[in-house]
Amino acid sequence: MITGKALPRRTFLRGLGTAIALPVLDAMAPAFASQLPGKAPVRMGFVYVPNGMDIRNWNLDYEGKLGKLSRIMQPLEPFKDDITVFGNLTHNNGRALLDGAGDHGRCCGSYLTGVQPKKSFTDIHCGISCDQIVANAIGNQTRFPSLELGMEDARQAGDCDSGYSCAYTNNLAWRSETQPLPPTLDPRVLFERLFGADAGLNPEQKARRNKFRRSILDFVSDDTRKLESNLGPTDKRKLEEYLSSIREIERQLERAEKDNAQINPGMEKPYGVPADFAEHFKLMTDMLTVAMQADLSRVFTFLVTREGTSRSYREIGIADGHHPLTHHQNKPELMEKVSQINTYHVKQFAGWVEKLKSIKEGNSSLLDNSMIVYGAGLTDGNRHNHEDLPTLIAGRGGNYFKPGRRIVVRKETPMSNLFLTMMDRMGVHAEHFGDATGRLNGINLS
Amino acid sequence: MQFPGQGKPPAGIIFDSAMGSRIDDALAMALLYGLDGKNEARVISVSVSKSNLHSAAFSEVIGRFYAGAVSGAFGAFGRNLPVGMADNGKLTEDSPMLLVPLSKKNAEGQPAYQHGIHTLVDTAEVPALLRNAFTSQVDQNCMVIVTGPATNLAQVLDLPGVKDWITRKVRYLAIVAGNFAGGGPELNVKSDIAAAKKLFAEWPTQIIVTGSEVGQAIRFPAENIEVDFAFAKDHPVADAYRAYQQMPYDAETTAMAAVLSAIRPNEKYFKMSESGTVTITPEGKTNFSASAGGKHQYLIVDPAKKEQVVKAYRELASAKPVVRAPRFRQQKKEEPAKPVTEAKPVAEPKP
Repeated sequence: MITGKALPRRTFLRGLGTAIALPVLDAMAPAFASQLPGKAPVRMGFVYVPNGMDIRNWNLDYEGKLGKLSRIMQPLEPFKDDITVFGNLTHNNGRALLDGAGDHGRCCGSYLTGVQPKKSFTDIHCGISCDQIVANAIGNQTRFPSLELGMEDARQAGDCDSGYSCAYTNNLAWRSETQPLPPTLDPRVLFERLFGADAGLNPEQKARRNKFRRSILDFVSDDTRKLESNLGPTDKRKLEEYLSSIREIERQLERAEKDNAQINPGMEKPYGVPADFAEHFKLMTDMLTVAMQADLSRVFTFLVTREGTSRSYREIGIADGHHPLTHHQNKPELMEKVSQINTYHVKQFAGWVEKLKSIKEGNSSLLDNSMIVYGAGLTDGNRHNHEDLPTLIAGRGGNYFKPGRRIVVRKETPMSNLFLTMMDRMGVHAEHFGDATGRLNGINLS
Repeated sequence: MQFPGQGKPPAGIIFDSAMGSRIDDALAMALLYGLDGKNEARVISVSVSKSNLHSAAFSEVIGRFYAGAVSGAFGAFGRNLPVGMADNGKLTEDSPMLLVPLSKKNAEGQPAYQHGIHTLVDTAEVPALLRNAFTSQVDQNCMVIVTGPATNLAQVLDLPGVKDWITRKVRYLAIVAGNFAGGGPELNVKSDIAAAKKLFAEWPTQIIVTGSEVGQAIRFPAENIEVDFAFAKDHPVADAYRAYQQMPYDAETTAMAAVLSAIRPNEKYFKMSESGTVTITPEGKTNFSASAGGKHQYLIVDPAKKEQVVKAYRELASAKPVVRAPRFRQQKKEEPAKPVTEAKPVAEPKP
């Protein structure tokens, strides 16, 4: 029977201290309405990797349709019709501009703000980042105006690079000129932020819930059953897949916590953070996927590791620190390791792209309805330069971008021009942003 | 790039020309690099107001000739100085002074002059290039020299906040424009009247104008091309000079005058008009009205200095590229450490 009554878009499965948002379901469309999935929101995100790249192995030597990808981009080969690679974008405000050393602090601070950060580790001053400009404008349409994720270091004080505060190297998002938004590093914290409501429970309730809890889904099982009885077979399958993905995240968290319990106590580890880089990346992006799918937020930043990081990558046999390696002085053996780290990062990103592509939203996919910048604020970690920054966008931004191409813009074209264009796509038409000289022409379908 | 704690570097020069339209643009660029080689200036930005890739490419050829060798800008820290090119330039035509050197082959059949400009994306977007150049200079230590139409400068004025940067960083603008001896409309102004009007009306700093009468009065001697530039088997400026007109001819030097007077103001190679305001007529003529608070002045040829000016042109424009290490300030030589001697026993204090 067709009632003509649609399921509200902001329907939640509720239980004790729990509210789980739902993905877009066909049942949310008014009766006879067509193309509901075409109405899927556009998501904008930024995934930042530090210390530049081994640019020899990143850059392509051609423009136009993507053919053979470079070595570092190779993991994205199956998805090259879904990515747009850019050339020549520049962040002038990452350059010294009389402020001397500190490219790592500057490049991260200026990346999404487009302004030159003030060189200080006590009196921080940057600019509002483009993600926050969008979050301020449209954030009221989702539960979280924006999400800030990271994987390494959220220190907000101290000198992290030649007089630049750690606030510059450890944050991408800036709510105001003086207020960075620290990323959430701990998957458990992110999970509870997204799906739980523990803040409303007293310690006894929390302890009781933890003791008896097998899954957060148990708390919403009644709501789930009621909802399922009103769904068609397609929606039922979607809901099942969605709840399964939440359960899988829970399992990953449990594994991570169990693994951490076995780690040598001499080494401090945040509770719930997987020791393995790839596992941590997957866990964070899995949760982000669910958040995007459920329209909990349309704007996110993901600082994969902090600028200037000396993290080693024993997972791929590299015991040296990332940052020291990038100062390779053109020694082939060190450059090779930088390339391996860069490729390893892209491999994790490609895994996430695959997942986003697999999630259907009507006739398109979650990836199609997203535009996710993957890039670095330094071009070459050895030279510390800021022109021709390694940059690509995954997704079509809701049928806006025409991917599968490499677009080379003119030299010195500000990165802010790209971000201003993306802000337009999010429906936020700023007059100026950062050091933009205009919009980036030629990247959309029109 | 500046190095803090090393004192004020030589003035940064933003050079914008219509390379290819008049030979004195090439001579002026050679003169500029001559001054750069003497550490009297630093070339920080090169751009062309002609929408012509050969114009940009030849500018890069000249930069590379001195390259790396002369200027920290080309090749410093592995970074090439990008050449900006107008995308709305009114002048577009090719000329022999561009095509002949660019197509010249060496004995091996390879291009005599290397450059990396083959498509639009090999050039820089001018407003960003110029704005970025301002941002990296010590306050009041930058000069802008324009020897072509005002197209690029007028465009940069439209960027938000850029007038504040100019006021803060730029000492003055030296521009080749008009004629102040009763002549008709001059090529640069006539080519883009709207840009010239805008520039003279809105540019926030002092403007020193070189009219075409200055270059007509002082010529570059043709014989010097064959003598002074002969140190290099292939010299792009000499090749361009020979291709520009039937040799021998003595070229006008308006652009050279703008560069020389801008970088060596204390030498007083030229007289200066009183202060006032330049306005542009609808036909492209330049009018000058004297006024106490005016920000504009124009150069006047001083007959007594003609020989001195030509000598400076010859010496500087034909200067050999100077191989020079990056501009680090010389470290003071430390006193050699004295050999460690046995500590003398300290005398017991007397009670």
